[in-house]
Amino acid sequence: MSLQIIINFTLTRIRANMSKGDENSYFYWDPLNDHEADSLTNTAMARIKKDLMTLYTDTPPGIFAVGDEKNLKFIYALIIGPMNTPYQGGFFYFVLKCPNDYPIQPPRMKLLTTDGGRVRFNPNLYETGKICVSILGTWTGPAWSPAQQISTWSPAQQISSLLLTIQSLLNEKPYYNEPGFDKEMVPGDSDRYNEIITYQTLRVAVCGMVENDCGLNIPESLQNIIKQSFLNFYEEYLLTIESKLHLSGTSVVDPFTSVAIKLDYAELRNRLVSIHSRLSASKSQEE
Amino acid sequence: MKVIIKNWTGVATWKWIANDDNCGICRMPFDGCCPDCKLPGDDCPLVWGECSHCFHMHCIMKWLQSQQVNQQCPMCRQEWKFNNK
Ligand SMILES: [Zn+2]
Ligand SMILES: [Zn+2]
Ligand SMILES: [Zn+2]
Repeated sequence: MSLQIIINFTLTRIRANMSKGDENSYFYWDPLNDHEADSLTNTAMARIKKDLMTLYTDTPPGIFAVGDEKNLKFIYALIIGPMNTPYQGGFFYFVLKCPNDYPIQPPRMKLLTTDGGRVRFNPNLYETGKICVSILGTWTGPAWSPAQQISTWSPAQQISSLLLTIQSLLNEKPYYNEPGFDKEMVPGDSDRYNEIITYQTLRVAVCGMVENDCGLNIPESLQNIIKQSFLNFYEEYLLTIESKLHLSGTSVVDPFTSVAIKLDYAELRNRLVSIHSRLSASKSQEE
Repeated sequence: MKVIIKNWTGVATWKWIANDDNCGICRMPFDGCCPDCKLPGDDCPLVWGECSHCFHMHCIMKWLQSQQVNQQCPMCRQEWKFNNK
């Protein structure tokens, strides 16, 4: 075992303990568990409205967001996994909550596409929904990637630049998002991780989100985008699944957790096809 | 109309809010006061940094007070110093 590997193992341990530690202070990051009274400053109200307007008029590709008619603090966002990444076509749904003194402090933000707290989609996107990045103030360690270096929060950031930063986490080789992992611990780790993320994206972030099998409270406009995009991307999903059918029944070991994930592409294919026929049927009824 | 997105790649970009006519913190035009000043007649002066970025004084003071360690310009992240010239 080389020194580099030992250091990496130690880093993983420390980080694992760290992330457990700050689950105790979950209300510092969790928009759904924050007990700040609702008293937005006038500046915060004006800024949130402006930020939403920018999102509506100058929408970045693959990003959709809506405000909350009843509470200006909440923003609901959908990021579609970029093409040619293991996240391709996946529906990643987020809740954001702006603090009373926004934009002095960043919003709190949570990923809800986690298969009910079971799937960690990225070294920075925990299964608890916590997003560990410096722009949200949830990562205070050394900056290891250019994106982390320049993107601590400042009032010159806005909701759309924040969502772009989060979208950039959904990249071609998410294994290397882990701090200290600029080299693979074991050769092939990055490919193995991509294999798992590709499968979990199709299972949890595509099928699971279209069926909303975790009963998430997703605004209707975003639900409609999910359904429409599913129909648009259907052929792509099917192609990916068919290219992976030979792996069905095999397992891949997650390089971070050492847990073996079973790839069940045969079942996933059936599920995808049946969702597609249900959706197309209800769509042709509407027309 | 049916829009099919064939391809895109996630790229992080940072678009700074234009800082010529609007305050980069509250995003309101400089010809008005900041949103926390209720009356248009309130005294809501503009201040400049040595980096030449301009803000409502009320807005930049709130930002600087929230920064215990390094006080940086929200726009360019250079150390913030008031330009008193
Ligand atoms: Zn201002
Ligand atoms: Zn003012
Ligand atoms: Zn500046």
